[in-house]
Amino acid sequence: MANPVTMITGIAGGLARLVGAALVQQGHDVVGVDYRPLGPPLDYPAQTYRANYNKTRIEDVYRRHRPQCVLHLGRVGNLKERMGKRFDLNVIGSGKLMDLALKYGVRSFVVLSTFHIYGAHPHNHIPIHEDEPLRAGAAFPQIADAIQLDNLASTWVWRHPEVQVVVLRPCNVVGPTINNAMSRFLRSSVVPVMMGFDPMVQFIHERDLVAAILKAGSGHTAGVFNVAGRSPFPWSEALNRIPARQIHMPATLASAYLRLNRLFSSSFPPYLVNFFKYPCVIADHRFREAFDWEPWVSEAESICSTVGRSTPART
Amino acid sequence: MQALNHLIQSLLWEPTVDKSIDSLPVKTNALGFDPWGFSPRQSKLYYSLAYRIYQYFRPEIFGIENIPAGRVLVVPNHSGQLPFDGLVIAVACLLHATPPRLVRPMVERWFPTLPVVNTAFSRSGAVLGDPINCRNLLQADNAILVFPEGARGSGKTWDHRYQLVEFGRGFMRLALQTQAPIVPVAVIGGEESIVSLYDVKPLARLLNAPYAPIAPLLPILGPLAYLPLPVKFRVHFGEPMHFSGPFDDEDEIIDEKVRQVSSRVQTMIDEGLARRESIF
Repeated sequence: MANPVTMITGIAGGLARLVGAALVQQGHDVVGVDYRPLGPPLDYPAQTYRANYNKTRIEDVYRRHRPQCVLHLGRVGNLKERMGKRFDLNVIGSGKLMDLALKYGVRSFVVLSTFHIYGAHPHNHIPIHEDEPLRAGAAFPQIADAIQLDNLASTWVWRHPEVQVVVLRPCNVVGPTINNAMSRFLRSSVVPVMMGFDPMVQFIHERDLVAAILKAGSGHTAGVFNVAGRSPFPWSEALNRIPARQIHMPATLASAYLRLNRLFSSSFPPYLVNFFKYPCVIADHRFREAFDWEPWVSEAESICSTVGRSTPART
Repeated sequence: MQALNHLIQSLLWEPTVDKSIDSLPVKTNALGFDPWGFSPRQSKLYYSLAYRIYQYFRPEIFGIENIPAGRVLVVPNHSGQLPFDGLVIAVACLLHATPPRLVRPMVERWFPTLPVVNTAFSRSGAVLGDPINCRNLLQADNAILVFPEGARGSGKTWDHRYQLVEFGRGFMRLALQTQAPIVPVAVIGGEESIVSLYDVKPLARLLNAPYAPIAPLLPILGPLAYLPLPVKFRVHFGEPMHFSGPFDDEDEIIDEKVRQVSSRVQTMIDEGLARRESIF
């Protein structure tokens, strides 16, 4: 009997590579796709393709490999990409991936969205559930493509019950192999700290998220789910565990620094700035119950492992 | 910075606060925080500071035994421009209730935008005054402190002192939804702590604040006119009120239940004022 085939988008990224490795270990055939250069070769057997999600080449991958499961982990969060390109990949491309999944009989389709779409806002209650408003777009139009991608996938949950669509909205993903804006921020040598603000934050370690994605791809439940790590804690507790030099400054100056910094050196999304000021704590009990999943990596280890520090033993 | 923190802590440290907070049955994570940001460790500092302010007002507490075990909504009148009434109630519940109770004050929507204050409040157990926060906390058997008059109550001017403004309905719907009793509270003394003769509404809008009070001695003392006077607070906790019925009933039916609570609070205020011989 042939191995089940899983297609993973975003295979050039750290998280997708980890998911692929875990699937290969479980006996799956893995097909990786990315619009970016694929980077160093994978250290496990997998077919990889460089293809834009909104172009015809992506259909060749479906036609050739007939995946039973698609893990769409390749949402473009990097704001260095032009808004137009992000819209093409995240909205048009994701739509095409889902249409093709229907055409080629894919049984389960997982979309990795983000909790950033809820937005960090002074009026946020705690915790935020999956059916609550997505506030981020009102203040930050730069995140419109991520909201549209999430909405598109969420409507597929009920429009196409023949495909088990699972939309995951994880909190800040961190870990030693993750290279997103938050992980890069934690690894920077200097971090601005907004004086007088210390909101509750949540992190999920890459290992826990990999386990969550594998459970979501099992195809037994469809829906939209938040995914969080162990428990929320104040931002200052995260800062205390990283080696970066902290420069305390008024919130307006820190915001300006982070926004200006984006122009020169990093791809720090402007909507992340508010996450250092106001809370955005999500509830993930629905996912835990539906998929019998729970995070294993501690709050402290999630941060320490991201910056290459060992976790102090608890006393 | 850390040395300064230690100095402040050692100057403010209040052993009775420590003991009471240590005895609270709070659930925190491995780092010592609950999901809303309450930290038993850090709250000791803030409550010790609050205790010094509490001592300044030399409060007399009546009927605190009326706070039942388990979930409860503590519903007082609101006054005094700054939330010293909430502070006095919170400290009284922590130090004088048996066993000590941590009340979770529901704060106005502009508090999370205030630097420093937002952190001090959340580490001490205050949460944004939002129905979902309140429901979650009640379902976890917390004591909630809610001022149904809102900022309209605390911003009252001198000519409206001790006259309740209209209560909101939210607290009653939450009490019905979670089957939580309501403890009415009358705070006497708050109105005289910081007096406002006039609310300059355009200035409040400009500052994005709920009100902009004019203190009587402002022309002479400048900002010092807003320092609270050392009036004596008298806090009367009434017997718990129990309500039943659908939480999503029509406004008129909820309003009738709300009126029962506000009438009870007004009666307690009037009785407290009649018994008071001096504001100091």
